[in-house]
Amino acid sequence: MPVWNSSNMSHLLSRSLFGFSKSDLTMALGYGTFADFIDKALLKDAAMPAAPNAWVNTVPNNIQNTDGSTGRWYNEMTAWWYTRMVNESLSMREKMVLFFHNHFANERAKVNYPQNMYAQNQLFRKYAFGNFKQLVKDVSKDPAMLIYLDGNNSRGVNPNENYSRELMELFTMGIGNYTETDVKQAAKVLSGYIVSGLTSTFVPARWYTEANVTVLGKTAKFDINTLVDHIFDQKATAQFICRKLYQEFVYYKPDEVFITKMATVFRANNFEMKPVLKFLFTSDDFYKKEIIGSKIKSPTQLLVGSAKLLQVKTPDLNNFYELARTLQMQLFQPPNVAGWPGQREWISSTTYSYRGGFTDSLLSGKRYNGVAVTSKLVPIAYARTFSTSEKAIEFVDEIIGLALRFPLSDTRRKFLLDTLLDGTIAANWNTYTANSDARVNKFLKALMRLPEYQLC
Amino acid sequence: MKKNVSRKQFLHQMALLSGGAAWGMGSVTGKAYAQVPASMASMVAGAQPGKALVIIQLSGGNDGLNTVIPAEDDQYFIKRPDIGIKKDAAIPLKNGMYLNPAMLGIKKMYDQGKVSVLQNIGYSNPNRSHFRATDIWNTGSNANIVWDEGWAGRYLSIKYPQYPMNLPTHPMAIQLGSVESLLFQSDLGRFGTVFEDPNLFYQLVNGSTADSDMPPATLAGDELGFLKQIATSSIQYSKVIQECAAKGKIGYTYPSSNLARQLQIVSKLISGGIQTPIFLTTIGGFDTHSNQLTQHANLWKTISEAVTAFQTDLENMNLADSVSVVTFSEFGRTVKQNGTLGTDHGTAAPMFVIGKTVRGGLIGENPNLKILDANGDLKFNYDYRQVYSTIIRDHLGVDAVKTQQIFNQAFERLPIYQNSPDQLPEFTSLELVTSVPNPVIDFALIQYSVFEKMQIKLAVYDLQGQEIQEIYQGNREVGSYQITADLARISSGFYIISLSGPNGQRQSRRMIKQ
Repeated sequence: MPVWNSSNMSHLLSRSLFGFSKSDLTMALGYGTFADFIDKALLKDAAMPAAPNAWVNTVPNNIQNTDGSTGRWYNEMTAWWYTRMVNESLSMREKMVLFFHNHFANERAKVNYPQNMYAQNQLFRKYAFGNFKQLVKDVSKDPAMLIYLDGNNSRGVNPNENYSRELMELFTMGIGNYTETDVKQAAKVLSGYIVSGLTSTFVPARWYTEANVTVLGKTAKFDINTLVDHIFDQKATAQFICRKLYQEFVYYKPDEVFITKMATVFRANNFEMKPVLKFLFTSDDFYKKEIIGSKIKSPTQLLVGSAKLLQVKTPDLNNFYELARTLQMQLFQPPNVAGWPGQREWISSTTYSYRGGFTDSLLSGKRYNGVAVTSKLVPIAYARTFSTSEKAIEFVDEIIGLALRFPLSDTRRKFLLDTLLDGTIAANWNTYTANSDARVNKFLKALMRLPEYQLC
Repeated sequence: MKKNVSRKQFLHQMALLSGGAAWGMGSVTGKAYAQVPASMASMVAGAQPGKALVIIQLSGGNDGLNTVIPAEDDQYFIKRPDIGIKKDAAIPLKNGMYLNPAMLGIKKMYDQGKVSVLQNIGYSNPNRSHFRATDIWNTGSNANIVWDEGWAGRYLSIKYPQYPMNLPTHPMAIQLGSVESLLFQSDLGRFGTVFEDPNLFYQLVNGSTADSDMPPATLAGDELGFLKQIATSSIQYSKVIQECAAKGKIGYTYPSSNLARQLQIVSKLISGGIQTPIFLTTIGGFDTHSNQLTQHANLWKTISEAVTAFQTDLENMNLADSVSVVTFSEFGRTVKQNGTLGTDHGTAAPMFVIGKTVRGGLIGENPNLKILDANGDLKFNYDYRQVYSTIIRDHLGVDAVKTQQIFNQAFERLPIYQNSPDQLPEFTSLELVTSVPNPVIDFALIQYSVFEKMQIKLAVYDLQGQEIQEIYQGNREVGSYQITADLARISSGFYIISLSGPNGQRQSRRMIKQ
């Protein structure tokens, strides 16, 4: 069992949430044990959020694509989701919704109607802590997915292979665990659906007419339910999903021994998400020293987490929207069906530079291109939320402890302290002196410009 | 793990030696070129400065059969009754092959001898996953091996042996975009500088700092080292890029597509004097599972117009001799159309190599639509690494032994460039690469390759064909070889060095003895 302390909790929060503030950490530490915190806060069920707007229930119509509504609604829905994330508090649900959005990656460029994408997003929310096998069954008939991977209008005679392949390659078993024949045969089973408006309909006459098909060594008159059941009977499936969970929440290079343990838990609990997540977050492997600070933040983690850290309660979501695109993580627009690969793939010479531009904007109130940001940090008020605010050395250490998971070297620590002091000595520091707001800003800017800040 | 640590120690030492310019990179696996002795590293690669390769990646899997079309083959229309392009609508090339009607610009360049069309390029046991297949093309591996370094990354690590201990003055590779391709990644770090716009890039980086503290040797320390490396190279290269872009000229008006914009930046940087050997540009949208006809034609219209503008621009500025363009896509598509007027993931497909120095024309046999693989799709005719090996050797000027190191295998070249061998590989299967120095005083260093296991003989003959000295005779496995011959005893004059095989294959080179 991991040791119950602030640094282990900070590690857990920084991986299972988008980020955390000082008060989030204090609140989490009030639970007393990891088991209690996980059951009563992190994985706690919650009511579904209200829709962003009434358009979610309007029947998709081509007019919305020509009069600009589609783009506007997608933006509205993106802002709605960011708001859910910024206000996640200690619940992991939105993180899991993003995990599923990345797992069953659909692109708005092809799923023309935000109504369908909204329904899919709510489906992920419904199953965030639910049964993964059932989610796969539901996703297989989900209108957005049918549109995205060409299941829509696929007929049993000459079916479209797109969804069938990705179901096996990316959503369940992983490459190497099926043959080209399996893809072709399963494509027949998955055929027969058409999407009209907000719903999908199964049309028996469009389905395959063979008495049976053979998929993964079993011959039967499969339907979607029995096909997915059969896929989940393959050992590779639990291993594949747990590998993905591990890579998302622990470390990008998989540890197959530990993943096998996760898979055993996942299978034993009939592919329910809660038990496997709880197993992960209460295991010593998750808290190993070498794991801490080894994850490169996703752009969403950077945007939402920075707002949470700085207690910017209503961040400028247009800024989020534009920067997320630039940083290569536009929500509802993953690069392709495999989703965002993550870790080092987030970083190139250009995206690294833009990350600094974003954190600057929360402090300066201006984007890299000079456009004003609607909500920015109030430095002195923020500093005074820390009991150490009048003691420079302790203050710098406390903020570093909150913001960075990577152990900072003494030279970097001194560099940050010098930035705050701006030429004076520690004894002369307090938040009531002239220019102390600018100094806090400079200190936070330097902190968030450290490469260490990109790690969590 | 042991290797890891020693590598880190090595980098650590180098960092100290070079004043802290280097950082330990992530996990390191042993690689053939890492064992190249230092003496060879000094005579490496990139002999012709200023040559540039511009890669256009067609993401999603380009439908080769609707790009270079067998419009006189009945089988094509039987398998594609609704999406087959009729010969009357298409642009005739030769031998019954036609271009997609949208490719007018490429046809014009083809007629001028500036386009080599390579048919049926692929590899054994082709993979139909977008992601795995893209990785295979980018790394240059066989289908059954996973490599984590790009072939260009390995080429660049030969060209820039001092990296990452020292950063060369100019970017080693440039990618227009945001997410760095595996193509430019290597165990030594990332070779690519990635951006969308030279000025904005400069503006953003301005103000960044990078410290030279050595990160700790931990998993997280590896990630920090990676971030620091990116920060450092961004700071260094954003300035060079901005300066070259400012100096650069534009010799032609480009269309307004995204690809054209990328190529225009490349051209501007080259004319501004950038010394970068590889550029990567990308165009997506080729995953045409449904209603593909218009979409696919539009994509090729975009490419055709963009590349035509790029080529014209370079020619107007007298830079065309040093630049070559190549297209690739992760796979071709199914021979048969599917039920939604599209095609699914397939196998072999054509590639285009475009530029002033290519031989031009249609290379290789037409796709055989009757003799197909087990899934009913095209069999490949030439390996994609034959194309890359030809480009690396005949355009980028790397020798045979180094090229073999890049792919861990020797590949016989295709007649792509004017300086490429003029025959298709079937007829030779061996190659006498070089003999240096020439004229020779005593010792000659001879490189040769054999592409199927055979008994070979390497010897020196006089101009009458009389054998003067045998250098090597025996069986050779497939591969490139290097041998040092002591020719001190033969008298001054003109000679022929000749490599021959058992079935009359022979390649010869003239040699002068001082």
